[in-house]
Amino acid sequence: MEVSSEPVEQPLSETAQSPGLVTALAAAASLAACGGGGGADSPAPVPPPTVLPTAVEASRFLGQAAFAATDDHLARVQAVGYAAWIDEQLAQPRTTGHYDTMIAAGLAVASNEYTFTGTDNTLWRKLISSPDVLRQRVTLALSEIFVVSMLGLPLSWRGFSAAAYMDVLEANAFGNYRDLLQAVTLSPAMGTYLNLRGNQKGDASGRQPDENYAREVLQLFSIGLVELNPDGTLRGGVATDTYTQDTITNLARVFTGWEFDGFNHTEPSYTIKPMVFLASRFDTGSKQFLGTTIASTVDGVTAMKLALDTIAAHPNVGPFIGRQLIQRLVCSQPSAAYVGRVSAVWANNGSGVRGDLKAVIKAILLDSEARRAPTSADTTRGKLREPVQRLVQWARTFKLSSPTGLWNIPDTSDPSTRLGQSPLRAPSVFNFFRPGYVPPNSPLGTLGVQAPEFQITNESTVVAWANFMQSTVFSGLGETRPDYSAELPLAADAAALVARINLLLAHGALGADTVATITQAINSMSASNDNAKLNRVRAAVFLVLCAPEYLVQV
Amino acid sequence: MSQAFQRSTRRAFLQRSSLMSMAGAAAPWALNLATLGEAAAAGAPTDYKALVCLFMYGGNDHGNTLIPFDNSNYAAYQRIRGAVAIPQANLAATALTPTVALPDARQMALAPTMGGLKTLFDAGRMGVLLNVGTLIQPTTLAQYKAKSVPLPPKLFSHNDQQSVWQSSLPEGATSGWGGRIGDLLLSSNSQSTFTCINVSSNAVYMSGQNAVQYQVGSGGPVAVRGFGAPIYGSAACSTALRTLMTTTRPHLMQAEHVRIAARAIDAQAALGSALTTVPAPATVFDSSNPLATQLALVAHMIAARSPLGAKRQVFFVSMGGFDLHDFMPSKHPGLLSQVSDALKSFYDATVEMGVANQVTAFTASDFGRTLANNGDGSDHGWGSHHFVVGGAVQGGRFWGTLPQTAVNGTEDVGQGRLLPTTSVDQMAATLATWMGVSATDLPLVVPGIGNFSQRNLGWLA
Repeated sequence: MEVSSEPVEQPLSETAQSPGLVTALAAAASLAACGGGGGADSPAPVPPPTVLPTAVEASRFLGQAAFAATDDHLARVQAVGYAAWIDEQLAQPRTTGHYDTMIAAGLAVASNEYTFTGTDNTLWRKLISSPDVLRQRVTLALSEIFVVSMLGLPLSWRGFSAAAYMDVLEANAFGNYRDLLQAVTLSPAMGTYLNLRGNQKGDASGRQPDENYAREVLQLFSIGLVELNPDGTLRGGVATDTYTQDTITNLARVFTGWEFDGFNHTEPSYTIKPMVFLASRFDTGSKQFLGTTIASTVDGVTAMKLALDTIAAHPNVGPFIGRQLIQRLVCSQPSAAYVGRVSAVWANNGSGVRGDLKAVIKAILLDSEARRAPTSADTTRGKLREPVQRLVQWARTFKLSSPTGLWNIPDTSDPSTRLGQSPLRAPSVFNFFRPGYVPPNSPLGTLGVQAPEFQITNESTVVAWANFMQSTVFSGLGETRPDYSAELPLAADAAALVARINLLLAHGALGADTVATITQAINSMSASNDNAKLNRVRAAVFLVLCAPEYLVQV
Repeated sequence: MSQAFQRSTRRAFLQRSSLMSMAGAAAPWALNLATLGEAAAAGAPTDYKALVCLFMYGGNDHGNTLIPFDNSNYAAYQRIRGAVAIPQANLAATALTPTVALPDARQMALAPTMGGLKTLFDAGRMGVLLNVGTLIQPTTLAQYKAKSVPLPPKLFSHNDQQSVWQSSLPEGATSGWGGRIGDLLLSSNSQSTFTCINVSSNAVYMSGQNAVQYQVGSGGPVAVRGFGAPIYGSAACSTALRTLMTTTRPHLMQAEHVRIAARAIDAQAALGSALTTVPAPATVFDSSNPLATQLALVAHMIAARSPLGAKRQVFFVSMGGFDLHDFMPSKHPGLLSQVSDALKSFYDATVEMGVANQVTAFTASDFGRTLANNGDGSDHGWGSHHFVVGGAVQGGRFWGTLPQTAVNGTEDVGQGRLLPTTSVDQMAATLATWMGVSATDLPLVVPGIGNFSQRNLGWLA
């Protein structure tokens, strides 16, 4: 398998893991990049704004940084600018955690030891209603990189373990990557999902240490499969493997000896405690991986620390994880220059600190490529909004509330009737979609444009979205209820109503024909009483949610 | 190699298909190449054939799927597998008696929960394909150790080996050999949308250069509710919804979403109608078995092949959960039971419909696993055993080379990971040939087949 250095009409093969762009993709990247034309000679990040954002600009920013452009956030971004809004969000305190919420709800009873009762509820609750919206947005993004899924948690108090795992991601979302990596590694949920828990040294019978965590922590949570330049392109222009089977075999031996702390069947508190080390199960032989040697005299706790230090220090981490964060927040196909700028901040936050996620998030959202207004020439810019993001956006925009406090929003995984996606319910550790997915049989595929969310977009899901949202927009999900009171005063004026929904949901991106189509339909509806007006609002919201210019976040 | 192949394949398609120019430049992206299909119908086959890929996501543990049963090999198996070994006594009922004996008086048994496949084996309708895996070229253990021949990229990585299995390329590939078979047979069908049908989640296996994978849930195609009745009391909103969902846009992601929606709407109308017109076969599929419900819909669509105008079809079904690094003794038997039961029901349904000889189903997976155990499971491997089921199958026997029951054996690349002795390319070529792909077109489906001298493994009549 060779990678040609010349542009080809169908770049593919070694995009593989797609931590970065294949050399062959670089040519396509310039036209596909978020910045459209943001190639290697892209300008440096824009200086602090002297002009405050317009409503459309603020809305578009909030589409990336928050889930939704609510009136209060729109006003705040317009008042203080992007950077100050981010700083305010970074300073927001955390709200009650998922685990604590489930405890407070009285769910820690014997009948729930082997259920996920209440877990979806609390996950939706915080995504939809927690005021620290940037942290929630980043936490969801992290949950799609450091994947744990309720589909693979066969342990006691499993619902609590999933909740506790989301708490771990949230607690570290504005922290340092190295701490996040350790917290993830030692969490009981991840320990179960990828089998670090209970892993033990080999024995004379031929039993070998379990390789699962060793392999996936490298392939998915840190460095990826191929060596990268800081801008995410292939180092040296060719796909060079970052590790071999021998690396995995050695690292698997480091990752032995970890066990739940205080496991019991009577209550779930072990699920919030990092796993602890049991020396009797540890492989004490020397190990060599990624240029590091751990001597046979080193104890298991220290060995784990050295392994994670080694992994976190690898030059791939910034471009590999940074690029995926860009994809979750801003666009599917960032230019190499954009990745390079984020990667530089990953390497050094300006104060000599590596892996400072606050600085990385800020760099991603303030980058010129993220902030530049879209033009009609940008035909591959942005990203398809993922279904969970869309539902949360709708819910936050229209202040969805849970009168009972139960947040009875179900598992939304069914692709034929719901979203085909649900928080912490990916089909495998490879998430709902892959960062390097290129839609086949399409103009996107011909150009080699990565568009991960299209991997879960098919003939079932596009119809399910319309059907699911038709009823959801009407009356909410379960006992939850949307609040359209801010829109009702505009209901009699179809143009004004559509303009508002366009601003809030689509950041003003609806085309003139789409606006006309929707306005015409709304105008045909009665506005003679409050219920009729409410139906006008619902119709405007629903139709915008089905418009392609809304579905793609540009 | 890969990109050159992509270019040549694409060029070959454009050159060999004079129909393309007739259908216009937009043809490859058209919603439905019905015109193309009808134009070619004159030369279309009169019979029907379908290929069904059953993909076991996660890497099936072949070591506990096909188990050594003769005493000496069982002893070796038990020693290596330790806590995950299946007791020998539990294997008696599923021990296989092949029509062609295995060398050295070896005996093999299916997992105890695979009684359905045992029945099909005994009836000669299921064949066991031994030690199949991804290969660039025939490779010896010495060559592997010396790194003297090219090896498949990203061995032991789930997503990449799934992709190599399905497409011959690692993740990022945009066509698979199921889709490429579809490309060559599209013109057999009057509605090209129904050439490659995926009743599961997105799989590169099903995309061709022109063939588009049509994805449908096991409940069948879903209609847009807002089209059938007023939305919030407004018929105008129904009209507006259809306009919004189906009017293309300059932005390519928006356009792609529109293309999928338009295809969904058209296909639902056609497929929904066909499935209503033609009843499903009476054969019972276990509704609690997700593979069975997928295969039940495949069977129903095969029953409806006439109104759908289908002569050559490729189907894809799948199930996850096979990545059993832990919990193998408790979880693996249930998964295999679902595979076995679903395939048995499906085969029975094809007999009921009178198409058993025209439908071939086969299993596939990311990779096999280590024979060595890690306490409660096994780790990522390479070569694996697979099953092929159908009336055309030369079943009741094993095909290929049975590996040693050993760690550090003659096919072991480490901890009992099997170096494959039959390539996926050879398996794909055998299936493609049966579907009607000519010897000269075979490289369009299986780009690496030129590296293998035996291109038809002989297990399909």
